[in-house]
Amino acid sequence: MSSAVKILEGEKIINLEIYDTFMDMKKGLKEEIRQNQKYRLGDKVNVYIGYKNLSQKQIRELEDILLDYGLHLKELMTNGPPGQENSFFLPQNEENAGFPADMPEYEETALIRKNLRSGQKCFARGNIVILGDVNPGAEVIAGGNILVMGVLRGMAHAGAFGDEKAIIAAYRLIPTQLRIANHITRPPDGEVIMVNTPELARIRAGKVVIEKLKI
Amino acid sequence: MKGKVIVITSGKGGVGKTTTTANIGSALAMMNKKVVLIDTDIGLRNLDVVMGLENRIVFDIVDVVNNNCKLKQALIKDKRFEGLYLLPAAQTKDKTAVTPHQMKNLTNELRGDFDFILVDCPAGIEQGFKNAIAGADDAIVVATPEVSSVRDADRIIGLLEAAGLNNPRLIINRLRSKMVKRGDMMDIGDIIEILSIDLLGVVPEDEAIVISTNKGEPAVTDSNSRAGAAYKRIARRITGENVPIESLDEGNFMERFRRMLKLAR
Repeated sequence: MSSAVKILEGEKIINLEIYDTFMDMKKGLKEEIRQNQKYRLGDKVNVYIGYKNLSQKQIRELEDILLDYGLHLKELMTNGPPGQENSFFLPQNEENAGFPADMPEYEETALIRKNLRSGQKCFARGNIVILGDVNPGAEVIAGGNILVMGVLRGMAHAGAFGDEKAIIAAYRLIPTQLRIANHITRPPDGEVIMVNTPELARIRAGKVVIEKLKI
Repeated sequence: MKGKVIVITSGKGGVGKTTTTANIGSALAMMNKKVVLIDTDIGLRNLDVVMGLENRIVFDIVDVVNNNCKLKQALIKDKRFEGLYLLPAAQTKDKTAVTPHQMKNLTNELRGDFDFILVDCPAGIEQGFKNAIAGADDAIVVATPEVSSVRDADRIIGLLEAAGLNNPRLIINRLRSKMVKRGDMMDIGDIIEILSIDLLGVVPEDEAIVISTNKGEPAVTDSNSRAGAAYKRIARRITGENVPIESLDEGNFMERFRRMLKLAR
């Protein structure tokens, strides 16, 4: 669909399937309503998202945007399998995943400008950004997300107060152990797989998974 | 004369701190520098044995800090090199017999008479380590190409930085180039990548070290020893000379070239 809005039998449909991220989706929705005169206060509109899946929270966010312009969400139209409540769904190119749309936000972020060596520990209630390496034996513990702009070889614990949406991203992710909320994982025993791209760890379906990160 | 205090440390035991201290000290003395070696491994002293000076000990470091003797009385003159002295550790006491403050005063007193004051640090991160680094201007970290040694070196570098010794330099000891070639041993590039500090030198594994240690003759006195030659080059680098890091075996040209690139990273 080239045009974002179509009128079928007097009903208005907004196509949000063309956007790749939830952020863009929200932005696109706002722009469409602002630029089009056909929407009247109190109109009920359908939103089409194709094969993509949205969480309940994300659907509520879309509804809130519509309400800001005096519109109501009539129906969320999808082609996807029903009943799945995943975060943003990127079926074709999971390898090119960016930071997840539902990544939690924290006010406080600690910026650490050195390598963390064995025996050194850093803790913050919010996010932690490290401009350096985290060596084996070092520990990074954050209430929020962890971003390492170097090699993560030590232990990192994101969402330490139980936030399962927290993520751990690193330029090179070779950790001794990863913890997100109360999930603990370690790399499989045996052969070391060398990945020469940035990676991101998060919880998907109750498991810590590692994906390539495209920034 | 304003001498430089250099602590030689590693965290892990048995990687060659004492051997390194003895050899670098001897090599510096061979270059006509005035050098004193301080053994801070109180209770487990070894440096005197490696130097072959055990039977000359009358007073030790604990006697000096407790004012039982003058500093000059406790310094043992080396039997081979002019300008090389040893301040031995006490064997009957433990690490708490000396405080970091006393060590600082001691090294400051020695600065006036020597070019280099080399402090042989005990293994571990407790009182002995704290004593050894107290008066130091510079630190040399010794590590062998083993994961456990590199891990401990990393910890030690962190503690050195916390104590204000910001640019420690690394000696990789006991490297077996054949094993590295086969991929059975960590190579220099791997170690530097993890520790991210400057490389001061690489000492190859050398059986002659065992013999020289047992005889109390530092390997640098043996002109055929490969390890001894490596220590001599390290000593030249410590004096500020620009000596390139040697390629460790006689591999073909491309291989040596590749290794050079790796080191330059």
